[in-house]
Amino acid sequence: MTRFLRNIKLTSLLLIFTLVVGPLLGVVPAHASGGVSLYTTYTSISVPPGESLNYNVELRNNTDSMVTVPLAIKDLPKGWTAKMTGDGWDLNEISVMPNTAQSISLAVTVPMQIDKGTYHFTLTAGSLASLPLTVQITEKGTYQTELTTDQANLEGHSDATFTYSVNLTNRTAEKQTYALTAQAEPGWDVTFSADGKQVSSVEVDPGASKAITVDIKPAENVTKGTFKIPIRAANQSTNSELVLEAAISGKYSLELTTPSGLLSTDVKAGGDKTVELQVKNTGTADLTDINLTSTTPSNWEVTFNPKTIDKLAAGKSTTVEAKITSSDKAIAGDYVTDMTAQAAEASATATFRVAIKGSVLWGWIGVLIILAIFGGIYVLIRKYGRR
Amino acid sequence: MEASVLRKQLNKWRDVARQLLGGKLGSLIESGRTDRERFSKSNSNPAVFWVLVRKEISDHVRSWRFILLLAIIFLTCIASLYTALNSLQDAINSQDGYSEFVILKLFTISDGTIPSFIGFVGFLGPLLGIGLGFDAVNSERNKGTLSRIMAQPIHRDDLLNAKFTASLFIIAFMFITLGLLVLSLGFVIVGLPPSLEELLRIFSFLIVTIIYIGFWLNLSILFSVRFRQPATSALASIAVWLFFSFFYDMILKLVSSGLAPDASTATVDDVVHHVDFMMNLSRLSPYTLFNEATSTLMMPTVRNLGPLTTDQIYGAIDSPLPFGQSLLLIWPQVVGLIALTLACFAISYVIFMRQEIRGRS
Repeated sequence: MTRFLRNIKLTSLLLIFTLVVGPLLGVVPAHASGGVSLYTTYTSISVPPGESLNYNVELRNNTDSMVTVPLAIKDLPKGWTAKMTGDGWDLNEISVMPNTAQSISLAVTVPMQIDKGTYHFTLTAGSLASLPLTVQITEKGTYQTELTTDQANLEGHSDATFTYSVNLTNRTAEKQTYALTAQAEPGWDVTFSADGKQVSSVEVDPGASKAITVDIKPAENVTKGTFKIPIRAANQSTNSELVLEAAISGKYSLELTTPSGLLSTDVKAGGDKTVELQVKNTGTADLTDINLTSTTPSNWEVTFNPKTIDKLAAGKSTTVEAKITSSDKAIAGDYVTDMTAQAAEASATATFRVAIKGSVLWGWIGVLIILAIFGGIYVLIRKYGRR
Repeated sequence: MEASVLRKQLNKWRDVARQLLGGKLGSLIESGRTDRERFSKSNSNPAVFWVLVRKEISDHVRSWRFILLLAIIFLTCIASLYTALNSLQDAINSQDGYSEFVILKLFTISDGTIPSFIGFVGFLGPLLGIGLGFDAVNSERNKGTLSRIMAQPIHRDDLLNAKFTASLFIIAFMFITLGLLVLSLGFVIVGLPPSLEELLRIFSFLIVTIIYIGFWLNLSILFSVRFRQPATSALASIAVWLFFSFFYDMILKLVSSGLAPDASTATVDDVVHHVDFMMNLSRLSPYTLFNEATSTLMMPTVRNLGPLTTDQIYGAIDSPLPFGQSLLLIWPQVVGLIALTLACFAISYVIFMRQEIRGRS
């Protein structure tokens, strides 16, 4: 009796020992009842959601007789799938020769949509042996799509193109085709490209991700400021949104014209004419040190007053006087004179058509000559005629 | 009858004017006159001048000479219009800066077989002037009609003035008609109405033409006063015409080759100076003056008549000149032509007034 009790005590001690120490050693002789045991090296692992686990399990027969046992997985968490294969076959039952071991592959798929935590399931070989396995899910899994970028904020001029690198990750179980859309303000131009080609939709395999380049061109009349451009990858079942930011640092633009808009004038050969020019800052940022220069026909001269505009605030305009002096050898007709207002950031050119007018002085001298001749004839008539 | 009515009318107006101005001013005017003026005033009869003009015009228009000259000029101008219309399509498509002046092109272009309208006018116009004037005075003198006219109560210079005015009137009438004919034919065939600019250019071209032909008319009248024989005066006129139309250019070329600066050592200034000098020499010819004036008027892209330096061309736009500027450009030429015409007239006037007029000798 006592021996029997001691036997039981010993057995339970051994059992406790194996149960407690076994996992620590990484060796699980499982349920060794009847000399059949299930063994795998890694019994507790940590994985992210959506991972596929492959266990190599050995079924060891320590008895002297052949053992045939049915294989099953118990307590598999909801949504998980498991599959046992041996030599490429799906297994339901397995036979093991005396004192030998047989390998089994166990493939377990962790679903995408899963909470963080520890999950347990057990591989059983009939009632002879069982192998408890533990899987720790390191993060909360999502059954959805992810649109991410490292750098969602870019800064540039209004005429720059903003290029964002975006990753589209498909965390669903199926292959998904996403339509790519952007909700930009009117006038903004958003293009998506993948693999170097411009696209409007992309196909992503489950668990895979795709690099997408988003090019954003701001509207022509954009003002200084930060603009949010939400982009979206969506289909019927899943979607994801990401907000990109474009910080416009201001637009530099200059316009040179006249108050009336008339870009032509006339001047006498060798004479001069003063034209009023209007320099307009049509950008959204201030301009400094605007220089006025000119390209003229040879021996012409254009002097500006003032020659340099120190500062011109955005949207403001100022007038400059340009004195055009023509060459005294200029011939009658039209000449081209370019006037340029140039700042470091922007420049504007006004092309003037300057008509040279011949001097009327010789015309009047001609008239005087004719009058003198008529006078002479009149004198002749007075002298010789009427007699 | 007509003359007396006119004189009555004039006297009436003078009385009215005298009343209005007041007796004092009237007496001032009266006292300021010399006896001779009072005589010529009382003897003046403006109607006589116009009677003479009318007679001269009718004589000319009915003469075979005029009809032949008219036929020659009319035919050549129609021919030049025909060639202009033939090459008009190319001319409109060409990029020479004044394609929009289609009607002007009718006067200036030709397909190379026959000269253009302005070429013909410059060449044949003098012939018309010479034809109308070379026997103006000497034939009257030879026929003995001059002394008969002088026996009438008219001023002596009225005769010369009337001959000049009548011929000029015919020339003016003929060329304005011809110009309008070409203009309207072109209008009908091309289907484009002329712009105001084109009309102004065409009319000033016609006026310059009339002045130019008026010069040849006066020259031939001068010869007809100077030479007794009509044949001599005709030959003299034609000789001058031929000289300026053909030989003057040749002579100038000879002179130019003699005076030209040495090509290896000459500076640009030397060459420009030489070209300017030769140009001024050639402008002594009325033919050159006329050609420069008409080509500037009829081709609006002509901006300068002398040599051009690159400095002057740089930055220039190849655009037509406005009419006023074209006119200003050729104003010296026009003044020259007018002065030549009037000078010839004045010389013939003086010679005529000093000549003795006798009966048939």
